[in-house]
Amino acid sequence: MKRLKMGVLLLALGVPAAAAWAAKLGDKLYVKARNTRVLVSPEATSNVVVVLQPGQQVTWKGASPKDKQWHLVTEPKGKPGYVFQTNLSTKPPNMELVAKDGQTRAIDPAAFVSSGAAVKALSPGAEKYGQDKGGDYAAAVKQIKQAEALAAAVTPVKIAEHVKQAGLFPVVAPTTTVGPQKVAQAAPARGASKPPKEAK
Amino acid sequence: MRSHLKVAAAVGLGLGLTSCASLTKGLKAAKLGGDADRLVAVSENTQKCDKLGAEPAIQEEYALGSALAIQWVQRGGGLMLATATDQQLTTYVNTVGRNLAMQSPRPTLQWTFGVLNDTRNFNGLSAPGGYVFVTRKLLQGVDNEGQLAGVLAHEIAHIVLKHALHQYASVKVSSCKGAVVGNALVSAAAGRLLSASDRDGKLDLDSDTGLLADLTEKTVELAGKGHRKEEELEADRLAVELMLGAGYDPEAYRQLIAKTPDGGGFFANHPKRDERTKQISKVVLAQKAGADTFAELSTDSLQTPALPASFAAVKATGVAKDAK
Repeated sequence: MKRLKMGVLLLALGVPAAAAWAAKLGDKLYVKARNTRVLVSPEATSNVVVVLQPGQQVTWKGASPKDKQWHLVTEPKGKPGYVFQTNLSTKPPNMELVAKDGQTRAIDPAAFVSSGAAVKALSPGAEKYGQDKGGDYAAAVKQIKQAEALAAAVTPVKIAEHVKQAGLFPVVAPTTTVGPQKVAQAAPARGASKPPKEAK
Repeated sequence: MRSHLKVAAAVGLGLGLTSCASLTKGLKAAKLGGDADRLVAVSENTQKCDKLGAEPAIQEEYALGSALAIQWVQRGGGLMLATATDQQLTTYVNTVGRNLAMQSPRPTLQWTFGVLNDTRNFNGLSAPGGYVFVTRKLLQGVDNEGQLAGVLAHEIAHIVLKHALHQYASVKVSSCKGAVVGNALVSAAAGRLLSASDRDGKLDLDSDTGLLADLTEKTVELAGKGHRKEEELEADRLAVELMLGAGYDPEAYRQLIAKTPDGGGFFANHPKRDERTKQISKVVLAQKAGADTFAELSTDSLQTPALPASFAAVKATGVAKDAK
């Protein structure tokens, strides 16, 4: 019944058929999510072979018979491992970035995490625009900067903690460290206190 | 005489690009001089204006998006950040939102989520560059994290699909053409638009606050009319994909849509529920991939997490109390 309801919803929203996204064994797939883990075995807690970034490509070897949401791939350097299903896409993500010097920079996806190239605050022109208008607009500039600081503090570590507590898919890994994984901390992310799951 | 020129230019514009280009070429070749030469110049400049319809560079998107974000925050009564509880709530909304955004087709934008103090409008808003806002009234109406994720995913989708940037591009082109047909550089900003149309159509808004202000305020005016229905449906489709990718049950989002009256707030320009119902019988969905094919989405193990304790403050009807 649940699957039927889901089907009805997707139909209502016009979500394309899965076949439209299909890839065949041996095809290349794109990594779509930040901090995508390639794991030794098809379970979220197993050792990390490598952590990939959006835009990198893997070769698809098929779903794990143990758990069809985990898929065997070979990473760009040829090592085999398992990736969670929704970390992968048949389509490449957009990789627009702004460097600190204000210039757009084409960047190697693997160097993404350490580059700092995505760092950006409220645009300087917009900040001046808000300050010049004064009053509530100037106050809005200050508040947006405050919200940006709070957003920046929501790191992949915090997201992974919340995802684990909420029972969501382990898509964004907390770190880029390879090898054995640390067990996620019990303490909730700030403001994201442990949400009890609803009965389904 | 000038009015004749304006009429001729307007007629030329009305003929469309191909015929306009042909007309211009013919007039130029005829070397008639006088008004005909001015008409040729107007026509050529009008065609150049179309370059401004090109997709803007990321710096231009960030500048416009930041300025629009300032407008949305000002109009929404500011952001809920005054107390520690408010800040916890903002952190929670960013946790849910950034998890979705980091899996979106634009994972490298600097995504920022905020809660507007607005207690009258049930609304979600977005601005290019990765700014997403929800009103306090909307948060008061969500029953679980799945519903919140659905609304955030819908706004993320508008940014990913660059819907506001399409409105902005049309503002740039029409402003440029307006200046050309008026046969005068009606403002310094219009002059700089014309100048950009001589190049690649890209604008450095960070070094030209006057032009940024002019284009932002015109885009706000257009954005106030909402996105097209097709764009809203497109955003809904991507929202459901984002929810499935993260492990949320999109049924929660459907329930939120179902309990909201047609034509109000967040749903003011959205397709009516009846329209969606009609689509159900028209589309055939095949979700299961074969053993040797890869499918990006799964409907297994989906969740509808409950809201955290920090939500109690927003559910209260009065001003949020500081939990310190």
